[in-house]
Formats: sequence, C-alpha cells, structure tokens
Amino acid sequence: MNLLLVGLSHRTAPVEVRERYAVPDDALQAFDEKLAREPSCREALLISTCNRTELLVVTHARPEARERVYGMLSEIGDGSATPEHFYELYDEEALRHVFRVASSLDSMVLGEAQILGQLKAAYRAAAAAGSCGPLLGRLLQRAFRTAKRVRSETGLGASPVSIARVGVQLASEVFESLEQKRVLLVGAGEMAESALQGLVDAGARDVTVLNRTPETGRRLAARFGARAEPLAALERELRSADVALASAQVDRPLLGRVELERCMAERPGDPLLVIDLGVPRNLAADGNLVRDVYLYDLDDLDEVAERGRAKRRDAIAPANAIVQQEVERFGRWLAGLDAVPTIRQLLERAERLAREEALRVAPTLGADPDRERAAERMARAIVAKLLHHTVERLRSEAAEGGVPYYAAAVRELFGLSEEDD
Amino acid sequence: MTQSWHELAALCYAAGALVGWRSTRVAGRARAVPWLLGVGAALHAVAFVSLHAQEPPTPLESFPAALSLIGWLVAISFLLSLRFADVRGVATWVAAAAAGFTALASLELVVGPARGAATGSVGPWSHAHVLLSAFGFSFLALASLAGLGYLAKERALKHKNASARALPALESLDRLEHFALSLGFPLLTLGVVTGFVWVNQQGLSPWTGHTYWLLAAWTIYLLPIGLRVLRHEHGEKPARSCVLGFLVLAFSYIGIRLIGAVA
Repeated sequence: MNLLLVGLSHRTAPVEVRERYAVPDDALQAFDEKLAREPSCREALLISTCNRTELLVVTHARPEARERVYGMLSEIGDGSATPEHFYELYDEEALRHVFRVASSLDSMVLGEAQILGQLKAAYRAAAAAGSCGPLLGRLLQRAFRTAKRVRSETGLGASPVSIARVGVQLASEVFESLEQKRVLLVGAGEMAESALQGLVDAGARDVTVLNRTPETGRRLAARFGARAEPLAALERELRSADVALASAQVDRPLLGRVELERCMAERPGDPLLVIDLGVPRNLAADGNLVRDVYLYDLDDLDEVAERGRAKRRDAIAPANAIVQQEVERFGRWLAGLDAVPTIRQLLERAERLAREEALRVAPTLGADPDRERAAERMARAIVAKLLHHTVERLRSEAAEGGVPYYAAAVRELFGLSEEDD
Repeated sequence: MTQSWHELAALCYAAGALVGWRSTRVAGRARAVPWLLGVGAALHAVAFVSLHAQEPPTPLESFPAALSLIGWLVAISFLLSLRFADVRGVATWVAAAAAGFTALASLELVVGPARGAATGSVGPWSHAHVLLSAFGFSFLALASLAGLGYLAKERALKHKNASARALPALESLDRLEHFALSLGFPLLTLGVVTGFVWVNQQGLSPWTGHTYWLLAAWTIYLLPIGLRVLRHEHGEKPARSCVLGFLVLAFSYIGIRLIGAVA
C-alpha cells in the first residue's frame, strides 16, 4: 500500500507543543502544494486541527518520503517537539488511524462531530493544491463513509458533543446558571459557532462575539441574537465578562497576564472563567495565576471530556469493528487495483468502443465489407496506440510491485467499474 | 429517652456524612445526604420535646442543650438554604458538623445535669441570649462551611483538579455564605448584647475569656461584612474571613470550655 502517516496529537504532545505545529486553515493549501512538488510523495494530505497535525502521504520511496515529511513538519513547527511527540504509522495502521480519526474515535471528546468537517476541509485544500490523487481521494471518501456508519450504527453520535460544549459544561462548575452572565465569544469559526450554540442552549442570553473580521462576527452574532464587537475590544469587554470562550486563530496570545490583571483589578472577587479552545492558545497560560481567573486550555478540558467519554465507552467496540470492516474493504479495493485486471478491463473497454465506432460509420461506407473492415482496423489501431504507453506503464508498475497508483488513476480516469461497490 | 433521641439524631447526621463522603469518592453527589439530614433533624426535634418534658426540664441555657440546639439549627438552616441554591454538595460537611455538635451535646448530657446546668439564673434575657446566639452560631457555622467549600472549590478549579467536583458551583457557595453571614452576624451581635444584659443583671463581670474571644470573632466578622457591603467584594477574601471568624467563635464557645474542663 505504501502509505505513511507522521504526526503529533493530544495523545502524544501537550498543547504548548501542538500549538507550535498548528497550521491555519488558509495555509493548508500552500503546504499541500509543497508536498505535491515533492518527487517522493505521489499524493499527500496535511491535517491540522486543534488536537493534531498529521501528514499522510502515498509514496513509492518510503525512506525519502519519511525524511521529507519530517522536514515539512520542522518547517511547520519551531522544532520544539521531541521524537517522542511524533508517531509514525504505515500502510494498514495508517489507514486504520485515518478511519478512526474521521470517526472521532481518536478525538479528545469521543464522538465529537467537528473532526469530520476539519478532515473535509483538509481534503478540499489538498484537492485544490493537487496533492490529493485517486488513492487518497478514495481513502478519504472511505473514511467519511466509515464515520457516517459509526455515527449512525453505534451510540457514539447519539448525543452530539464537541470540545466547545465540554467547555460550557465547565462553566457550571463556577456559575449556577449562565442566564444572568456576560459571555464573550472570541472568534467566529466553526468551533465558535458550536460553542455559541452550546452557550445559548445552556441559557446564556448576554453574549458578545468578538472577531477579527467584524462582518463575520456580526453575521454569527445576528444568528443567535448576540452583540458583535471587534477583536480589539477584548480587554475592555473582559472587564465585565463572566465567561470568555476563545477559539480565534492567532499567531500569539491576544492577552497576557498583565492585561488580565488589569481587567480583574476593577472587579475584586468576581470570578472569570476563560476557556481557551484555540491552538495556538488565545491567552497566555500564566493568566491562570491571576486572582479569580480560571483559565482552561484544551488539555485541561481533557479531564472534563473524560466524563462524556465514559458515557460513550460502550460504543467503542462496535465502532472499532466498523472501522476494521472498512479497512478490510479498502484493502480489497486496493487489491482489485492490481494491474492485470485493470489492463484487461481497459483493453476490453477500448475494443468495444472501437467496434462500436466502426459500426457507427459503416452505413456511410457504401455497404463495402472491405471498407468496413478497414475502418474497424483503423479504430482499433488508434485506441491501441493511444493506450500503448498507459498499458506499458501499468505492466511495469505491476512488475515492480510498487504502489497501484497508476491503476487507481486509470480506473478513475476511464471510469472502470469498481468491484467492491 | 431524651438521650436515645439525641443519639439517634447524631447517628442519622453521621450516616449522612458517611454516605456523602463515600459517594464523593465513588459516584459523585449523594442525593441521600439531605434526606438523612432531614430525618436527623426530625429526630432531633423529638429529642428537644423530650428534653423539655423531662422533670426537671433541662434549661436551654445549659451548655449541652445549647450545643444540641446549634447542631439542630445547622441542619435546619442548611435544609432551608437548599430552597434557593443548589448547595447539596456541602451537605456532607453540614451533616458532619451537625453530627459533631449533637454528639458532643449527647456526651455532655451523659455526664449529667451538674456539668450541663446553666450558670446563673434563667429568665427572658438568658433565653434571648441563648436563642439568638445559637441561631447566630449555627448560621455562622453554615457560612464557614460554605466559605471552606468555596476555598476548596476555588483551589481545585485553579489547579484543574477534579477532587472538588462534587462541591457546588463557586457562585452557589458564595451565595450560601452571603445568606448565612447576613443572618448569622446580626443574630450573633444581638446574642452578645443580650448576654451582656443578662450578666449585668446578675451583677457579674462580663469580661471573661469567653467574652474576649467572642469579641475577637465578632471583629473578624466585620471584615467579610465590610468587604461585601462597602466594596461589593465576594469570593476568596470574605470566605477566608468567615472560616477564620468561625474558628475563633467556636473556640470562644467550645474551646475555652474544653480547656477549662481539662484544667
């Protein structure tokens, strides 16, 4: 199969490392393009969410690709990650991992739905960059299908949760209710939207959305009857806020300890719960040292999420069984990509087309059998010459025992039937 | 018989504390604890009726009776506070406090009326003093438990520790502390004033060790009151003052007496 996956996630690296390896959504495509230009990587996909940064490549030259992937990760991050923070998975293990990630079995909050959207965004970026070819495309389609099956056939998706909603749950540790509380939402992305929905469901009425792009913030605020402010107003708004949920995409913290101390000086004894869902984090970690400030980042929420995880634990075994079924199914599809059946199917298709075209022009040849035979020979010769290089390439690939990359491409391009469907 | 009712009430409170402690360690909040407190309070009420019915009736001014009254009032005031805030998470501590006061009162009752008898003559001022002080003491005990809960919860939240998850929300604890302090402090103040009047009427000097410690506690309570009323400050500082104030107050009532008994 020659799949290689290298990455770090919440299971191997703390948030202070992960945030240094996070790739903003708008930069995904650029990294994918770089990978697409890499000769050792036939196909590549970069996944970057708040909990993981992973590179998945299809390669025919594993050592070179591995070296390049680590090089790319160094380029993404700042070198703060140690070898223990990374994991390397190959072939079936890599495949299983992607299916598990898509199904939210590897998420901090088991069963959360956001990961699927993030994976789809990564796929779109890779497709736009041209780094995602037929093999990874097929793999991701399978992964999405697996996720759908897991959600519909197990209890994992029974009560949808997200890490943002786990944060809302944390608010109940500090406040009796959110009804009379001032809530700030920093950022207006998917995470912020999910958080806002959670906050409104939990009874929050006085919500302010702060966003770098005011228009996006206003749109989100309008949908939930909240107020919108520019991100620059964060410090001012924090002075009277009770809960702040931050999930903006930032390069460095928006506020540090000094600014938080300034905010809290005007409200002695009033607790401020800050839930920082951003990677990189939106607020400096030492903000938790400020009196009456309770600052939680993604890793801190892990323990809170554990309770939800326990409720969904019963669904893990059936979900893993589905993943295994889909991994085997994908394996069968890959086996079906063996060059011989592909060549046979391709030639049969070409033969049929040549014959059909010859028959189509026959009435115009004056019912002359010689002419008809000549036309048929010509049609066959044209398709044979057109396909010669393709067939030879498929044969040499099969002889080398490499990645069935071309077979997959030929099947995709010529619309050959897929037996596993 | 009175003794048995007291012991049963103390047992119920202790069972509540035990169930609460076990459930905190095993499976989260124990819904049974407030019920056990309620049953304990009902048995305790029967014990008071029995105490009053016996010949000669034990005066409320006696130390064990006052102590028992405090235990009962702590349980009752907590059960009342449940009506306006979800503070079930401190039920375990309240049950432990009620059990402690009631058990101590039972021990004193066992020792007999000689130890338990009131000092000086009894009358309206003494009744007022004991009732107001007992009410004040029990509300302040509740405030200190809420304050202690607040400090524990605050610390757990700061350190991202799940140990205090069974405790109520910070806001609920703060509200309970505020409520108990608002009632307890004026009642204690009235208890102190009526106590002065009672002692003066008997021509005794009020300036004993108990009085000094009591005034020290009263002064300490001025801090959370001042913070809350003048600066509208709540949270950690008032909670600390409430806990400290109650420690001094408890020492003025119980500690001094125990030291005196040992001496």
